[in-house]
Amino acid sequence: MDKIELKQVLPLVFEERRSLMQSDVWLQNLTFQKGHLYLVEADSGTGKSSMCSYIFGYRKDFTGQILFDDKDIHSLRVAEWVDIRIRCLSILWQELRLFPELTAMENIQIKNQLTGFKSQKQIDEWFERLGIGDKRDSKVGRLSFGQQQRVALIRSLCQPFDFIFVDEPISHLDERNSEILGELLLSEAQKQGAGVIVTSIGKHMNLDYDQILKL
Amino acid sequence: MKLVWKLLRQHISIGQFAGFTLANLIGLVIILLGFQFYQDVSSIFSSRESFMKKDYIVVTKQVQAVSALTGKGNSFTTSEIKDLETQPFTRSLGLFQPADFSISASMGMKNVGIQFSTEMFFESVPNEFVDYDSSQWNFQPGDDFIPIILPRNYLNLYNFGFAQTRGLPKLSENIISMISLDISIKGHGKSGHYQGKIVGFSNRLNTILVPQSFLDWANVEFGSGEQVHPSRLILEVYNPTDDRIVKYFQAKGYETEDDKLDQGKTTWFLKIVVGIVLGVGVLITVLAFYILMLSIYLLVQKNAEKLENLLLIGYSPSRVAYPYQLLTLGLNAIVLVLAFLVLMIVRKYYLEILETLYPDIIIGGIGKTVLVGLFLFVVVSFLNMWVIHRKIAFIWKRKG
Repeated sequence: MDKIELKQVLPLVFEERRSLMQSDVWLQNLTFQKGHLYLVEADSGTGKSSMCSYIFGYRKDFTGQILFDDKDIHSLRVAEWVDIRIRCLSILWQELRLFPELTAMENIQIKNQLTGFKSQKQIDEWFERLGIGDKRDSKVGRLSFGQQQRVALIRSLCQPFDFIFVDEPISHLDERNSEILGELLLSEAQKQGAGVIVTSIGKHMNLDYDQILKL
Repeated sequence: MKLVWKLLRQHISIGQFAGFTLANLIGLVIILLGFQFYQDVSSIFSSRESFMKKDYIVVTKQVQAVSALTGKGNSFTTSEIKDLETQPFTRSLGLFQPADFSISASMGMKNVGIQFSTEMFFESVPNEFVDYDSSQWNFQPGDDFIPIILPRNYLNLYNFGFAQTRGLPKLSENIISMISLDISIKGHGKSGHYQGKIVGFSNRLNTILVPQSFLDWANVEFGSGEQVHPSRLILEVYNPTDDRIVKYFQAKGYETEDDKLDQGKTTWFLKIVVGIVLGVGVLITVLAFYILMLSIYLLVQKNAEKLENLLLIGYSPSRVAYPYQLLTLGLNAIVLVLAFLVLMIVRKYYLEILETLYPDIIIGGIGKTVLVGLFLFVVVSFLNMWVIHRKIAFIWKRKG
């Protein structure tokens, strides 16, 4: 997948404010290119997470068109979505979507077993680097949100992708950990030549963004 | 897959699944047992011969003193036959056609030194009433071989009367059917010799039966050409328990030759009872199915968020549905095996009683019941799988 296009996309809840819309994303023709780094800045309630959900096929409550390489995502079949979620798109959800009943490591494995993309050694190394090496076998439900964010990041890197979306990845991290996370994210994305879309409602990673969009 | 199962087994209620297993087991046992019991018991009621159609009655007129003397009056006229044919209980009607020529038969095993010779008579009924391989139950001019069905009484008469008192060997049905009869026919100034072969014994037809095609031909060839009215009719009815039959027969002064009507009633009641039992079994099974589906729905609902997350990290709906499908498949299989076990135990018990009551009962296998059980297993499991698949598809589409 080389590009994701948003054409005149507007969440249904904003329909009444259509004429007042002033956004770089909504009701615009916008293209995310592979290999580029984007920051989407937003105030809360402006539909940042909605945008991620739309692109992931999780929600469909919008007007306009979203295209993957010129193909309207409405026309994608279930098997195609499954394939896209394993090979083309990765996401770090704002609400993380981890499984609290499983340990940190199991949460990673449940994804990595599906893709077989990363070695156990690599995963162990990331745990150490992100400072959660001692939490490997702890139930995710017992970790702090900041620790969970790091687990969720590792999980999102355990697959091939053309684009990775990180929805407020550092909201609960200190500066040092934010920096490590940013480095990790960028180096993985660069390895794959992938596009990165970071969203933020204020605090954001200091990276060399190609484009900053105001939602 | 192990991790997925670790996730999805959350919220499984042992109680609900035990309830389903029990209910389904009871339902399935009732169905299989009812079916098997009918198979086992119906052999008592259906007579041993397999080559006559089931629901038929042989109709005669009462033999009265006057008619016995004149030799007339107990044959059926054309209008009487027509009338019977148009009755609502009649499915089909056939005439007993007598032979219009004289027949003598001799039979024996020369090396044993037994030789019988006797005057005989032949009758035939239309082929549709004889459930025998039609390629063998046939005669064509030029054949010198005639298939014959004898009343079983004749054999019993010989075995238990004649042979017993004279110290002659008893003959089994198999031996008899290996012996050929020498048959001589005379009439209309002609004569003919044929080989007769006994192909079966009948409990219910008190006549020496040959193929209709033989008599049709022989009556022309050897007969006097007079039209012979039949004195016996063979009647196939829709339902032997129909009380209109009895009323009609009483009004006309007809008689039936055997207890087919009584036997028909018993079989009919047996069918009704078994039908009711099967109905109850099916009902319980349907309810059990419903319990299982409710449990699965509840389980899927409780785990909806996990299922959704699995789908979002790239698991396909069929992969997510798989553990639950496997679970129901396993439960269904356990229930099936248990049901067969219960069936075998109960059957062993009632067979002992049946064998005491009816020593000559022929016990069949449980093959058909196994097929019924497997069929139900396949249908129910398929429905389970489909419902689970659909439920997961709803979660995929976020319709809950």
